[in-house]
Amino acid sequence: MTFDFDAYVTAAHFDRAGRTMFALGDGSVRALTAEGFITVEAHRGAVLSACLHPSGLGLITGGDDGRVVWTRVEGGEIAASLLAEVKGRWIDAVAASAESGLIAFAAGRDLHVRDSKDPAFARTFTHEKSVADVAFDPKGRRIATATYNGAALWYARIADQKPQLLKWAGSHVLVLWSPDGRFLMSAMQENQLHGWKVADDKNLRMGGYPAKVKSLAFLSNGLMMATSGANGAVIWPFAGATGPMGKDAAEIGYDASALVVRVAGTPNGSVLAAGLDDGRVWAADLKSGRIEHLKAEKGAAISALAVSLDGSRLAWGDEDGGAGVLETGL
Amino acid sequence: MTDASTTRIPVTVLTGYLGAGKTTLLNRILTEDHGKRYAVIVNEFGEIGIDNDLVVGADEEVFEMNNGCVCCTVRGDLIRVVSGLMKRKGGFDAIIVETTGLADPGPVAQTFFVDDDVRARTRLDSVTTVVDAKHLPLRLADSKEAVEQIAFADQILLNKTDLVTPAELKAVEAQIRRINPLAPIHYTQRSAVPLDAILGRGGFDLDRITELEPEFLNPAHGEAGHVHDEHCDDHGHDHHHHDHHDHAAHDHVAEAGIRGVSLTFEKPLDGIKVTNWLNQLLQDKGPDILRAKGILDVKGESRRLVFQAVHMILEGDFQREWKAGEPRYSRMVFIGRDLDEAALKAGFEGCVA
Repeated sequence: MTFDFDAYVTAAHFDRAGRTMFALGDGSVRALTAEGFITVEAHRGAVLSACLHPSGLGLITGGDDGRVVWTRVEGGEIAASLLAEVKGRWIDAVAASAESGLIAFAAGRDLHVRDSKDPAFARTFTHEKSVADVAFDPKGRRIATATYNGAALWYARIADQKPQLLKWAGSHVLVLWSPDGRFLMSAMQENQLHGWKVADDKNLRMGGYPAKVKSLAFLSNGLMMATSGANGAVIWPFAGATGPMGKDAAEIGYDASALVVRVAGTPNGSVLAAGLDDGRVWAADLKSGRIEHLKAEKGAAISALAVSLDGSRLAWGDEDGGAGVLETGL
Repeated sequence: MTDASTTRIPVTVLTGYLGAGKTTLLNRILTEDHGKRYAVIVNEFGEIGIDNDLVVGADEEVFEMNNGCVCCTVRGDLIRVVSGLMKRKGGFDAIIVETTGLADPGPVAQTFFVDDDVRARTRLDSVTTVVDAKHLPLRLADSKEAVEQIAFADQILLNKTDLVTPAELKAVEAQIRRINPLAPIHYTQRSAVPLDAILGRGGFDLDRITELEPEFLNPAHGEAGHVHDEHCDDHGHDHHHHDHHDHAAHDHVAEAGIRGVSLTFEKPLDGIKVTNWLNQLLQDKGPDILRAKGILDVKGESRRLVFQAVHMILEGDFQREWKAGEPRYSRMVFIGRDLDEAALKAGFEGCVA
């Protein structure tokens, strides 16, 4: 199944009901149905960021119109509701925690927190520089932000606090917690990853990338983390007390003619998918080593990628508005 | 690959001190009937009254890169805004970045060379600096940024010319030329300039380095030794006019230490030697060298080697063939702080084949 949405595909997700949803550069959110797709004009500008709602149903999107919107399908109808609005700001990042029910988003230098179960709850945490990304820890109690010269850790519910700063010089653009909460990983403006062991603030430097790392994904119950930014998908081992410290990464699906720009995987399984800058998509089972070249046609660079929880389906989107859903066969 | 990656969106950076006429120029660009749609990136505390559908506030966050290059700074907010704008497919044809009066244009310009994603999608067309003819001498005297904005410019709008006497105008022109001998000057009132004269310049495009005729080789209008040509409409020159403003400000520009140095050499150069020398020079002096451009005659090569640099970021390539009968020469122009002209000259000439 392929679509031409004629707008940059910012994000693709499978929600808890297994429904495929896309968020686009024209501000719309599309939910797939048996007949095709249904559309909501969720934003007046472009969708910049998206994540699953804490309930697992539907998508939360952040737009360059300053709005945070929840779009879901209820009883066959598509519904969208405004969760928050910061006038005149771009919502560069959104995150949500199924465990705590909290929603976090970045607008300029501010991290905003909302509670999906309590409309009155609101927190705002201000940074010295802009916040590029936000991520909840596995329990949904702490939020990490990617900013200039490091990451900041905030307790999501406490109003007045000083953040714990995990320092590392340079501009951090992505953050992701390991599923056991022991490590916070970041991708930087330079072609490198960084990581901190949160308990003792030990640094993990993970370099050697030929390109910027734009996408991170943990899989296999947190034993592995996959990243983009190379000619293949880069796999870092996280088993053992020190995680990837002092260990080498593996690269799979190497292809000298293209770069992996998006990765996605099954959090509890061994399926990994990669989207390439020449429009191709593959998926692999890291246990068997089998690689399936699912989209061999070249095209615009892949900009969005998702794998269903059981690893059987994959959704992709590209910079020109091409999108599709494929059976992985894995 | 795809259309999106081959047609890069042109970016015009507008700099200039507060009150020089930047916003007036910006509104002229936006409101003139050209059928083009612009995305405008302004400072979040910038001047209001910009008439455009797509205006984005930015924070002017200057980030250092961890690449061992001390002068390698970028505007982190621009990287984010440009990548966000690229999600609006087909929403605009060009980008204008308006900086605050106090901004150093270096990080803005470098953003378009250092970040791979920005570079893949956009092309820096020019750094256009608007200066106020009346107040420039004062600005140059009290602001390092005002000097840097002129030094970095591809072109300069010398605005509010109606507020100064012809003699004052000459003095201001001379000051600009000392700092930046390469950028053409547009003389304007209320920032009125034909847009096709200032947009689509390709100021960082190696193919556009057709000739390097630094204006200081020709003393400014009204200065001793100025050679008149068809471009000079001012024949009522006063060779002996001296302006107190002029003297005072000259000293401050000298304190900032920024000026242009032009070197010409008639003998063919050794391609490897000159490349190594330039790399080493920019490695050592990159923080002080704001801009550089050159056309080189390399021995055994029928094409011209051209280069341009922003601080340590050097780009060079072989360009067109030298024409039959065309005099061959090598010329480099450096605009920078505390330039040692004698050392540059010795290094340059040491690259002789």
